[in-house]
Amino acid sequence: MTTTLRAAPAATIRTWLRRNLFRNRVDGVVTVVSAAVIGTVLFRAARFVLVTGRWEVIEANLRLLMVGRFPTVHLPRVAVSLAVASLVGGFVAGIVHQRQVAAGTSVVAHLSVVARLADLVERFWPALLGAALLLSLTSTAGPWITVGGALAAGLVGRLVGARLPALTHPVVVVAAVVTPFALVAYLADAVGWDSWGGLMLNVYLAIASMILCFPLGVLAALGRRSTLPAVRWISTGYIELFRGAPLFVLLLMANVALGFFVPAGSAPGRVARAIVVFTLFTGAYMAEIVRGGLQSLPRGQAEAGRALGLSPTRVTFHIVLPQALRNVIPAQVGQLISLFKDTTLAGFAMGLFELGNISESITSQGPFRGQQLLPEVVAFVALLFWIGSYTMARESQRLERKLGVGRR
Amino acid sequence: MTTDDATGAASRLGDATRPIKGDPIIVMEQVTKRFDDFEALKSIDLVVGTQEVVVVIGPSGSGKSTLIRCINRLEVHDEGRIVVDDTELSDDVRNIAEVRRETGMVFQQFNLFPHLSVLDNITLAPRKVRKVPRAEAEAQAMELLERVRIPEQAEKYPGQLSGGQQQRVAIARALAMRPKVLLFDEPTSALDPEMINEVLDVIKDLAREGRTMIVVTHEMGFAREVADRVVFMAEGQIVEVGPPEHFFTDPQEERTKEFLAQIL
Repeated sequence: MTTTLRAAPAATIRTWLRRNLFRNRVDGVVTVVSAAVIGTVLFRAARFVLVTGRWEVIEANLRLLMVGRFPTVHLPRVAVSLAVASLVGGFVAGIVHQRQVAAGTSVVAHLSVVARLADLVERFWPALLGAALLLSLTSTAGPWITVGGALAAGLVGRLVGARLPALTHPVVVVAAVVTPFALVAYLADAVGWDSWGGLMLNVYLAIASMILCFPLGVLAALGRRSTLPAVRWISTGYIELFRGAPLFVLLLMANVALGFFVPAGSAPGRVARAIVVFTLFTGAYMAEIVRGGLQSLPRGQAEAGRALGLSPTRVTFHIVLPQALRNVIPAQVGQLISLFKDTTLAGFAMGLFELGNISESITSQGPFRGQQLLPEVVAFVALLFWIGSYTMARESQRLERKLGVGRR
Repeated sequence: MTTDDATGAASRLGDATRPIKGDPIIVMEQVTKRFDDFEALKSIDLVVGTQEVVVVIGPSGSGKSTLIRCINRLEVHDEGRIVVDDTELSDDVRNIAEVRRETGMVFQQFNLFPHLSVLDNITLAPRKVRKVPRAEAEAQAMELLERVRIPEQAEKYPGQLSGGQQQRVAIARALAMRPKVLLFDEPTSALDPEMINEVLDVIKDLAREGRTMIVVTHEMGFAREVADRVVFMAEGQIVEVGPPEHFFTDPQEERTKEFLAQIL
């Protein structure tokens, strides 16, 4: 059932229907049955969302779902952190835009401001939808200030970033690298990691692990192909060990069994342990993905580099890795999306107060206990994860297209 | 080695170790290369002089490519000695780096870096290895692109160029390191017929400038035109060596005659 509506301009609705949905008897049966199934599902979903769903459970627990039990007095820090992250992100986007315009590779430079805003909305509509939903559910000013501040900071950053002189660009790059760490320190200074919760914790676990697992995966992939046996064995051992164990079990072990190896009191907190497990686990998969990318390159690439007199390190970092990583962007992003969703396991394996765990607890205690409201909560949580995952997928496709321009 | 082989080798190799012009710059002595059980090169002796153009021909699998790939150590020889511009190739990475700086190689499959623009392909090694400042490296790259007759392609990526253009960029890239020796590994074998001449013309220009080069090729007309010496290889050995006017008209060895009869 493809949309060939415009392919044949002369076709009326009637002939289109016949050609695409009722070509023969089997087609007709398939069409009617699937229409019935899809119709029923859509009807029930719509009824659940619009009529029967008791969304007051979300409204009442919105803050818990977003930031867990983060103390109220410190919530402004969350808003400030988001705004700063957004500002720096805006700077980077602005600089990227500036450079693309200079290089003539920008695809939006010729568009009007309105068209560019429309492009942004088209690009990030799931996240904007999520923000709108969030604001429609809240009854306090906090989320409005947070969302508004983040959007405004991003916009200001983008506008200023596009006008920053080239000399300052390295400063911004350094800032972009340092900011995540600084913000984490700023938040943790008020409230220790182990008291974080909600979507904020899921996002934190995911981003921290993503940042750490990427270099680890690249190093392990290179190590597995090293000519030095010891490096090769260690890399292979690490990869196979962590690919061979279920993530849930690893998280359980980090939660329970770490006490056997580390004296009580000196063990790192649960969030830190979760990040270590996510990093090691995803790093092992990243290593195999990157190794696939390395193997996909023709041997001639490295040979050409060596023949030019480039050192092995330079051959790896200037010639082999850039191509290998680009070739495996879809698989890498897929793995990172998995990581984001798998952060819910930390709730059940380690008792962290993240979204999955919260869903359980708000429907099993307090005023909403025993009212079978889990579907509402789970649907909401699923939507939050879908927004994050789908945005990552779309951005990766964009990146792929961009990097693929004019190249093999 | 049996006595027969030794005497046979001696009579053939008299020429191979005597350059027609220049002081020796590449010296290969008794070079043997094995891939597992297969002997790709069997005690090769060959000396190339400065400004000499040596064209290597022979049937596929005869060891031609292996021979020139040993000279910049893309292949590691198992026995014998290889000296390039007074630097002997050994496991010493400094020597290997030194030899690779002084030799430029052009590959059958071009092997341009697809993620870099034409200009970046050419300037990468000068900037990173020779530490030439970017502006200077780019100016030099533009000169080289003029010489290979495609300055207008500087900002493009390899994937946007035809095979002949790519190979000319590859030649410019090899030249950018100002090598003393150029190695060509079947530079026109992967090209569509209509593009072969544009590449051969560039190589002929280089030969006329008096560059030292070893060219592995199947282009006999080209060999006849530019070679100072033609080396014929078969089964990992140098069978016959001579100036093209003798080599093509009056080959001495039976194996050479057979080969020439097949291809001419």
